[in-house]
Amino acid sequence: MHSREMDDFRKISEHDNVAIALRVLQPETKLSIDGADITINNTIGFGHKFALSNIKRGELIIKYGETIGRATEDIKRGDHVHTHNLVSMRGRRIA
Amino acid sequence: MNELRGYWNEDNKPGIRNSVAVLPLSVFSGTAALNISNAVEGTTLLLHTHGRAEIGLNRERFHTNIVNQILNPNVQSALLVGYEHKTTERYLSEIRSKTKKRVESIVVLDRGTIDSVADGTKIAMELSSAASEVTREPMSVSDLCIGIKCGSTDATSGIASNPAVGSAIDNVISQGGTAIFSETTEIMGAERVLAKRAKNGEVAKKIVDAVKKNEEYAMSLGVDLMGVNPVPDNIEGGISTIEEKSLGAILKSGTSIIQDVLGFGEIPAEKGLYFMDSPSAAQEVLTALTSAGCHLILFSTGMGNPSGTPISPVIKVTGNRHTVKRIPEHIDVDVSGMIFEEMTRTEAGKRVYQYVIKVVNGKRTRAEILKHREFSPVPVGL
Repeated sequence: MHSREMDDFRKISEHDNVAIALRVLQPETKLSIDGADITINNTIGFGHKFALSNIKRGELIIKYGETIGRATEDIKRGDHVHTHNLVSMRGRRIA
Repeated sequence: MNELRGYWNEDNKPGIRNSVAVLPLSVFSGTAALNISNAVEGTTLLLHTHGRAEIGLNRERFHTNIVNQILNPNVQSALLVGYEHKTTERYLSEIRSKTKKRVESIVVLDRGTIDSVADGTKIAMELSSAASEVTREPMSVSDLCIGIKCGSTDATSGIASNPAVGSAIDNVISQGGTAIFSETTEIMGAERVLAKRAKNGEVAKKIVDAVKKNEEYAMSLGVDLMGVNPVPDNIEGGISTIEEKSLGAILKSGTSIIQDVLGFGEIPAEKGLYFMDSPSAAQEVLTALTSAGCHLILFSTGMGNPSGTPISPVIKVTGNRHTVKRIPEHIDVDVSGMIFEEMTRTEAGKRVYQYVIKVVNGKRTRAEILKHREFSPVPVGL
């Protein structure tokens, strides 16, 4: 069964390449976003982010339509996006 | 009923609380101040561990935070509990030159802690008796100054509680009121979005420069903000980077024009929305906001931060329904309906605004009831 956006997740800006889980999403959960299907790959906690597209290492992560950091590894559509694969570009010795 | 009523003080400004402040000027007079405050109903204790041998910027910040607390409209009168004579006289004469409120002092080294408690209790009793005669009279929204803070942020803050607070702030500003948001580190990554709302190019530059200065300071210490901010409760709540935290955080300031950038604890000269250049730890920001004259603070939280101030009520707003269930005693306003689109930003903003009016008129916030009175006049964080 496909999930409905307002209950299960939120994409804040049309430019975003991540969305927020509004309930715990289990692996294999299928979502429909902007007419395309996404399968969740990991457990995504409440409020946590998952990728809406494949994102290559070094590419920017966009939320609120603005840059929130850079991918530190290749991220697949449906992957959990958090501190293990996303790094800040501000206030760092090595940006 | 949206009529507001406040306690007009000797400076001809309305407070929404009617406190007799008992303020130690140094760590060593804290014990006497504590005992005096415990003995006298109607007093508010501003306990801290500073006031000795601070240097440079911290000395200035301590001075501003001590003097300005007494100028806050919620304070009706004050007893300064000094440690030694010279500093106490200096504070007393400076504060008296800035306010017509009754301000008294005692000096612990002059007579010892025991007699200071006895004599201070007699003074505080008279101040409390006089303050209790003041009654609430009409005031307007344009008299209000509201501080804005977020703390223990999670991913719901950026999509529910911050936009809800921002909507209420827009309402207050549109009626001629004043509001102050701060936390320089927590606009990092969002400063150019904010700069577009500055009154003019000069103010826009001040906003961008404040962040740049903070970032350079962190670098000069050889520290990495990663691992410091976002803090662990943010990360658990789904916030990965400072940019993500900042872009959500600025939504609590609403959409109004930013009039100017204030220094730490500085009182705004005019009405409207201001940004204060400050560190970001809650207890330090709350102290600086009461120093700047805020009557109350709208505090957006995801995970359920409990903090309060001795001077001004703090209203907690959350968009996290789990937090509402888990620790209801930390939450005043629940806007979790926004997450599931059961409530719009405007509706949530109205709910927050109506709560503000109730608190102005005397309703106690959770932090007031639980006696959260954190006071931190010397910031240590970034």
